[in-house]
Amino acid sequence: MKDFNVLVVDDEDEFREMTSKILTKRGLHVQSAESGEKALEILQHSRTDVVLLDVKMPGMDGIETLRQIRSIKPLVEVVLLTGHASVESGIEGMKLGAFDYLMKPIETDPLLEKLTEAYEKKRLHQEKIDQALMKKHMSMPV
Amino acid sequence: MERKKHYYDSITKRLLVAFFFLSIVPIVSFAWVMKDAVEDTNIIKLNELAISTIEHRSEVISQFLNDKINMLSRLVSLYPKDFFFDSKNVEKVFLAMNNQGNIVDLQVIDVTGTQHAYVGPYRAQVAGKRYDDAQWFRETLISGVHVSDVFTGYRNTPHFVVAVTDPLKNYVLRATINSSIFNSLLHSAQLGPHGDAFIVNHAGELQTPSLLGKTALSETDKKLISFDSRPASLITNTDIYTTRLIDRGHWLLILKANIADSLGYYLRLRDKIILIVIVISLFSMAAATFISLVLSRNFERADKEYAALSLQFVQVEKMATVGRLAAGIAHEINNPLQMITNQAGWIGELLPDEDPALVKNLGEYQKAVEQIKHHVRRAGTITHRLLGFSRKMSNQQEKVQLNELVEETVSFVEREAGYHNIVIEKNLAPNLPATMIDGPQLQQVFLNLINNGVDAIGQDGRIEISSKLRNDGKLEMVFADSGPGIPAENLKQIFDPFFTTKDPGKGTGLGLYICYDIIKKLGGSISVENRKNGGAMFTIVLPVISFGTQK
Repeated sequence: MKDFNVLVVDDEDEFREMTSKILTKRGLHVQSAESGEKALEILQHSRTDVVLLDVKMPGMDGIETLRQIRSIKPLVEVVLLTGHASVESGIEGMKLGAFDYLMKPIETDPLLEKLTEAYEKKRLHQEKIDQALMKKHMSMPV
Repeated sequence: MERKKHYYDSITKRLLVAFFFLSIVPIVSFAWVMKDAVEDTNIIKLNELAISTIEHRSEVISQFLNDKINMLSRLVSLYPKDFFFDSKNVEKVFLAMNNQGNIVDLQVIDVTGTQHAYVGPYRAQVAGKRYDDAQWFRETLISGVHVSDVFTGYRNTPHFVVAVTDPLKNYVLRATINSSIFNSLLHSAQLGPHGDAFIVNHAGELQTPSLLGKTALSETDKKLISFDSRPASLITNTDIYTTRLIDRGHWLLILKANIADSLGYYLRLRDKIILIVIVISLFSMAAATFISLVLSRNFERADKEYAALSLQFVQVEKMATVGRLAAGIAHEINNPLQMITNQAGWIGELLPDEDPALVKNLGEYQKAVEQIKHHVRRAGTITHRLLGFSRKMSNQQEKVQLNELVEETVSFVEREAGYHNIVIEKNLAPNLPATMIDGPQLQQVFLNLINNGVDAIGQDGRIEISSKLRNDGKLEMVFADSGPGIPAENLKQIFDPFFTTKDPGKGTGLGLYICYDIIKKLGGSISVENRKNGGAMFTIVLPVISFGTQK
């Protein structure tokens, strides 16, 4: 069940590395990107279930990245993570369809829990769509 | 403060000076100029009156004397010398000419000074008297016509005579003038009760009685009057003197008009005006003082209000700055905290893989990792509070009934308070309107305030919570405790972030700051004061926001 793909997007190398290591150790497939552009690129070419996205980044920020992710991969769930309590950006993120909004510092267990929830949601979503597709195929005259 | 007071005093003074120069000085100068002008006009008028009066009087007197002289001269030319030496003829003439009573007696004296005929009341005194030594007699013989000065003569009463001689100078026909009739010619020349009119001779002796009853000229009058004076007036401070020569220049008619008499009406008017000016001046000075004081008071009050307002503004500004600063710091700290958590977490992940036989302190390490995580959590709580994280992210406005919210909040803490024997007393106004507000945030404020009260009391006491709808339509909630209250020096900074009086480690100094911040964001206000009977009292004022009017 915990075997899903996570993309960690953060401009801070150490955080990215550490988080990747820990999540990999917990059995997840982790990829990482140091910027929004890079993240979008990776998303195009890989199977990603959940994105852990830092809100505050140089260049393309988390909100903008989120917007683009929603447009190219609407099924991918995004968990926002920030050190700043910008209520506005949090609300905007939720409006744009982020799964949740987390505050740093966050420990491994609650983080993993959140990511798993996000994945569950994505999986259910995916299943429904698959079922719908299947029905469509079944109902089609042979 | 002293300097300020001095400043307002100087404003008052300047206003007073301005009022003085703008109102009182013009009034007084105008009154002064008018006073002098009117006085001068009065003197000029009085002088004109005096001149016309003396002109007229001198004509009347000259006319009178000329009449007498002409009459005597005509008699002398009409009748022969012998006619006058007969007393009976003289008596007839006297009766014929004296129907007006102007002449007291008529006398005929020959050139040697012997009296030949007398008609009049002084027969006994003058009988058989000789006149060859008399001044008037000699003068008459020399000049043919003579009007004497007043003299006493044989009859012992002051009188004066008009005398003429015949062209051959054989005799002198003399008439004594009725003094009272003559004097009465001057009565109408008196101008005012202190005015005077009289005739003097060259020696300065009074020829008619002074109308004021003086018997001789005063020294000042003597100095002022001279016979060669032209018909001009002499104006002194008190009187106007006008003079006219009469009787061919050997008498001087003097008219003295008292300025004060004629100015009486004017002086009364002037006194009245001065009184009015003084009253007006005093009145306007009082009004000016009042206005100046009121104005400078108003200035002072406006300045104070302004100062208080700026202070308040500075306070708001400070809170905002501190808030931003705190948020910035919290953010900067959150990132390293995340790293610590990650690193500790990584160790925690790896430790179970170690062989317990090889790592003899494995348990200690695991404990240490947990401790690190615990302290990061603590630090995180503080930064999250700083950032207002605990306010939840909902930020949703919902219809909230404050009383219900209070009831609910109290139910959370009632048990805890009960352990410390603290009673929570609710005094809630019924039928409070519901308002659109962020309920959870407001609840946090209530919770913070009640907890603060419990902490302040410690053991045994009461917390009173009341709510009401104010007259201005706003909601007011009061949280009062029976604790020791807040020291006056702390009242000002009680809402500052990190301000705490609790022991280190027990309070973050953020509780009241968060209350302040939340209430501010909800569009209300929070204030604190110490109750008279002990304990602190927090007052929250919130607007009532109905549906559709939310920000």
